[in-house]
Amino acid sequence: MRYVTTIGEREFLVEILDERHVLLDGQPFEVDFEQIVEQPIYSMLLDGKSYEAYVYPADQAWQILLYGRSYPALVEQEMERRLRMASGGGVSEKAEFHLKSPMPGLVIGMPVMDGQAVKKGDVLVVLESMKMQNELKAPRAGIVTRLRVKTGDRVEQRQIMLTLV
Amino acid sequence: MFNKVLIANRGEIAMRIVRACRELGMQSVAVYSEADRQALHVRYADESYLLGPAPSRESYLRADKIIEIAKRSGAGAIHPGYGFLAERADFAQACLDAGLAFIGPKPSSIAAMGDKAVARSTVSAAGVPVVPGTEGEGALGDDELLRLAPQIGFPLLVKATSGGGGKGMREVHNLEEMPSLLHAARREAEAAFGDGNVYLEKLLEGARHIEFQILADQFGNTIYLGERECSLQRRHQKLLEESPSPFIDDDQELRHQMGRVAVRAAEAVGYTNAGTIEFLVDKDRNFFFLEMNTRLQVEHPVTELVTGIDIVTEQMRIARGRPMRYSQEQVSLKGWAIECRINAEDPYNNFMPSTGQITHILQPTGPGVRIDTGIFPGIEVSPYYDSLISKLIVWGETRAEAILRMRRALEEYIIIGVRTNIPFHQTLMDSHRFMAGQFDTRFIEERFNFNSVDSSREVQTEIAAIFATLVAHRAAQHSANIIQRGERDTTNWKWLGRWERMHR
Repeated sequence: MRYVTTIGEREFLVEILDERHVLLDGQPFEVDFEQIVEQPIYSMLLDGKSYEAYVYPADQAWQILLYGRSYPALVEQEMERRLRMASGGGVSEKAEFHLKSPMPGLVIGMPVMDGQAVKKGDVLVVLESMKMQNELKAPRAGIVTRLRVKTGDRVEQRQIMLTLV
Repeated sequence: MFNKVLIANRGEIAMRIVRACRELGMQSVAVYSEADRQALHVRYADESYLLGPAPSRESYLRADKIIEIAKRSGAGAIHPGYGFLAERADFAQACLDAGLAFIGPKPSSIAAMGDKAVARSTVSAAGVPVVPGTEGEGALGDDELLRLAPQIGFPLLVKATSGGGGKGMREVHNLEEMPSLLHAARREAEAAFGDGNVYLEKLLEGARHIEFQILADQFGNTIYLGERECSLQRRHQKLLEESPSPFIDDDQELRHQMGRVAVRAAEAVGYTNAGTIEFLVDKDRNFFFLEMNTRLQVEHPVTELVTGIDIVTEQMRIARGRPMRYSQEQVSLKGWAIECRINAEDPYNNFMPSTGQITHILQPTGPGVRIDTGIFPGIEVSPYYDSLISKLIVWGETRAEAILRMRRALEEYIIIGVRTNIPFHQTLMDSHRFMAGQFDTRFIEERFNFNSVDSSREVQTEIAAIFATLVAHRAAQHSANIIQRGERDTTNWKWLGRWERMHR
């Protein structure tokens, strides 16, 4: 199976020959790969060298935590990738942005109103959790719409609080 | 003299105190909220009693209920730990009124140091240098503060008079932005401490935050146990502490001078038990009193490791009315200790708190490693309390040895279920500026780029790519197998294992 794995600016062609052998950009490696106690932590012996990493799924991609560094990786089968590239691909900048609560907490401030225009970086919601106040900011400019929470509300993790159009 | 202690706290510090009780042969009484029934301190203490629902106001801040439980259980003393009721003079007084020893200072000392503005004028009168600012004038209105600000000069800090931990604090660069920042600081202080009063203090640039641990008994002996370097902070929250300070290092003259001033500041309020005097030290080695923490500190273990003195045990001894075991001459610093605060927060997502069930832990052990924690696999990290879940402390003969040891300990430390700031500490340990001891209180926020390559560690993008691909490959195979479920009598994973072995 041939995969194209993208990390930052770099692309790697990773070919899985069998459960024990991979090619990284054509270079062969002997690999022994184990998941530890059914947790998102993996041990890899690569030509005898021992590595350990956390691997978390993250929005259609993977986050690899390796020795104190995070590597966000997109893994695609080579075929799929060719199709995506051919069809233009990419996500629309114009898509609606749903501000989701990154954690359970208490809304203690909402400096915006329905219909208000905001700039990138403007504070949309102030959320308190674990005794800390966190300002959630607009990732891009837009119009605030569909306010679903108000000051004083408790929110769950990933609850949609408002939408930017 | 008491033999049973109620611990009015939770988490790692409750465990720390329960352990001290065990070692001293004293009985321990834990209290807990509905969210903490399974917590270690509840299970490890000799007795445990429910306080109420999860929110602190209905549980760990219920002074009346805590005192009632102490009396009912026959405890003779209350140890408040840090946070919650630890720096509330009214609580300390209520303990004394109920005939209970309070393992901490006298209520009058807490009150004198608790109002930061009063504290500044008290120690100033005793000849201790303070950072220029609005002196102990009580509650000042916005108009007065705005009038005084230009005299102090910008940049300056708005600080909560009942403050701590960076709450109710704002940095002000000019008069125009000051009214809104004052408002925000008051709002936050009101929410955190139930007191919206603030004062102003000049912001010293390029300053270090260095604090001195104090012990004082009831016989008028006050000693200092060396210093702790606490300059590495983010949003005014300490992240890493070490002892000694690389800035003071072998400057014994400065250490003694600051230590003596710290003792004088403690004596100015008739202090007893353990406390900490915080100083700001500028580039020219001028130091200024910042505030006194009238309690056991989160970072006390680094002092314990370099002095060999068990501070909690000494607290108990002092509270029992006995003289301290040490005189100033007997205190010396040996080696180097570093503490990393492990917080349940995601460094890759703007340090947002991370909550959930911890599913797996592998703790570092081996020479020179200490962990103070209350977590275990299965426990739920809830949004109700502080995000500090563990303290990793190492000791080394030298600072370099301590850093190398901390690096390997961080690498060993695995916590799954919540995100932690361990990768942040790993990056910090690799930073050249940290290794050289060149940092001030602004370093983390202004000059330390968590994602930068100013690090001695090699980038392993190729290895990461192989990890990602193999995991994605397995996930794809797994879902393909689920679609064909029912065709095999064993589970898909077993089948996959057999298939793998067959093809080896």
